[in-house]
Amino acid sequence: MNIKFQASGFKCTVLCVILFSSLLFYIKPVLAEISPKEILSKADEARGNVEGVEWEIKIESIENGRTQKRTLKITARDFNSLAEFLSPPKVKGRKLLMIDRNMWFIKPGLRKPVPISPRQKLMGGASNGDIASTNYAGDYDATLVSEDRVNGERCFLFNLVAHNTKVTYGRIRYWISKERRIGVKAEFFTVSGKMFKSATFEYENNILMQGKPKPFVSKMVITDAVVKSNVTTMNYSKVRIKKIPDSTFNLNLLVR
Amino acid sequence: MRIRDLFIIWLLFWPTVSMAQESSSVMEKVDKTESTHVWDELSEGLEYSLRFLTFGTCRKVADSSQNPNNDFFQISRYSTDLEIRPDLRLTFRRLDLSAKPRMNLEWNAWKDGVKEGDTDWDDDWFVNEWLARIQGTENLFVSYGRENLQWGPSYLFSPSNPFFGDNGRSNPKQEVPGMDFARLVWLPVISWTISLIASMDEGRQEFFYYEFEKTYALKLDYSGQEAYASMILSHQEGDRNRLGAFGGWTATDALLLYGEGTISKGTNALYPEMANNPFEASMDAVYDKDSSLKGTFLAGGSYTLEAGPTLTMEYVYNGSGYSDGEAEAYYRLRQEASDAYYLAGPIKSLSQLTLSQTADPRLRFLRRNYIMFQYNHNDIWDVLNLTFRWTQNIDDSSGQFISIVECFVGDHTQLFSIGSVNSGALDSEFGSILNYQWMIGLEYAF
Repeated sequence: MNIKFQASGFKCTVLCVILFSSLLFYIKPVLAEISPKEILSKADEARGNVEGVEWEIKIESIENGRTQKRTLKITARDFNSLAEFLSPPKVKGRKLLMIDRNMWFIKPGLRKPVPISPRQKLMGGASNGDIASTNYAGDYDATLVSEDRVNGERCFLFNLVAHNTKVTYGRIRYWISKERRIGVKAEFFTVSGKMFKSATFEYENNILMQGKPKPFVSKMVITDAVVKSNVTTMNYSKVRIKKIPDSTFNLNLLVR
Repeated sequence: MRIRDLFIIWLLFWPTVSMAQESSSVMEKVDKTESTHVWDELSEGLEYSLRFLTFGTCRKVADSSQNPNNDFFQISRYSTDLEIRPDLRLTFRRLDLSAKPRMNLEWNAWKDGVKEGDTDWDDDWFVNEWLARIQGTENLFVSYGRENLQWGPSYLFSPSNPFFGDNGRSNPKQEVPGMDFARLVWLPVISWTISLIASMDEGRQEFFYYEFEKTYALKLDYSGQEAYASMILSHQEGDRNRLGAFGGWTATDALLLYGEGTISKGTNALYPEMANNPFEASMDAVYDKDSSLKGTFLAGGSYTLEAGPTLTMEYVYNGSGYSDGEAEAYYRLRQEASDAYYLAGPIKSLSQLTLSQTADPRLRFLRRNYIMFQYNHNDIWDVLNLTFRWTQNIDDSSGQFISIVECFVGDHTQLFSIGSVNSGALDSEFGSILNYQWMIGLEYAF
């Protein structure tokens, strides 16, 4: 009995070693072809970090039983974004300009733009930085942790650590689909290491890049890590690739 | 509403109407698709919003030498206002037009001074801002219009702005009156902007004690990855050159640091000086021809807590402000003028002139050292915005507390309360005009 058990333990160990080795052999060629940074860049593209794009976001946030809604029009180019609040009427006309890490908030009737920090909350669980195009490839050092499955889809699981304290999240665990090269799930941690929210992503939208259709984010669901019932859903629609002139992101011309 | 204002609105939106009419009249003659396209562009480029505001204000006048028995300023104790604020904007290809016509109906009641017991209704129809801007090339814009040009990161005031002393942040419900500007904006690359700005007319701004003088400015803006900076060189006709600058740095995702300032050779501000008159002093531009540099500098920072609130602190060094000795002479002269206010003859005129000069000595702040603390938390439960601000005059120990509370009721209606309480002696900066002011009201947005 004892011998049998030892034999079966040995078999298991051998099996695990073989499985683990084959996994390493499998991952290595994939990563030899494309670096984590390149994988992140591809995933960033599907979340708005392209030459010029415009989309609309409907945000619905449920926080402590209270439901809030907003509709925004986002115009983005590379790391610059302009968010214009379309509804409800109480916030219509507000603008949020993000030039790289510099952010300004413009309220109708108050002509002076207010500089704000990326940490300031937009609504519910969404920070200002969440509605803009992402630049994880530029902002974080990525390490491949393992492979995982999200809703049955095989994914790379990356550990992203911020280069500095200037980004909204100190660390992100980011699941990127192996096949589609898009981020499907993320967990966000504070600088102190505390997880404070998680997000899932869907990509029903398509954009044409260099003549080829590419998936574009259609839904982001943010769930609070502590109060699980606090959920913010962002639906992306009316995605249009277009030439965005420099003047779109110019404060001198924006405030009217 | 003045004829000129009506003309401006007509001029601004006439091209839209005429283009629309034109497009509909030629529909049958030209390719239908193209006309429809123009019409679609026009309707897509037209934006408008409409807000109704109604508010009541209660204020207590300080019994100081600046405003003897409230007879100099004649400030009402109570007022109620109804304002209709439509904002119209049309973007059509290279053309950008906007107009902000306003209607204000105001009722005032006086409880102090010569107008005690009086009440008065007044209506005002005007265009507070309008703009016609054309895009010459992809990166070159030329505009003319009545604007409220504000810039800089600071809350307390914007020393780098040579056009506006009021940045509108102490009361967000009261619009800063627009001034007429011609502007040329050039964007050689995305991170740099060069603007030529000329103030052509006083517009809606009121210059009570001085004449409006045209001011010309060259503004250079830079925006980097996590910082921005601007430099403004300006010249006022009949006055001097000024160099202003501001800059900010997103130090972390929660911390912003910024600074703003201005510098000039001498100043046209008025200072108390010995004079051969019944008050034995007068207000004069003592440093008008002075070649020494006078500067005002502001340093500030704000930090956003994880829970949501943002804390801000600003320090101002106002180099043109009064020293202790100058302040003492200023208040002594003001008291002399106040005492003579009810006398007959030429001394009354001298008293009025002196009080108008002490009321506006061309200094945004009277003394040299100020500190400001602010607590701001927006969208609490998606319905509440809170701002509390304390400004301390370090030199004379007077202070001002401002509270701005906005509460949304539904998607269209906002209730608001804006209060300010001033503390300090009657011969101090913040204690000179009002003891307190409290405004409550309702805003409805369509």
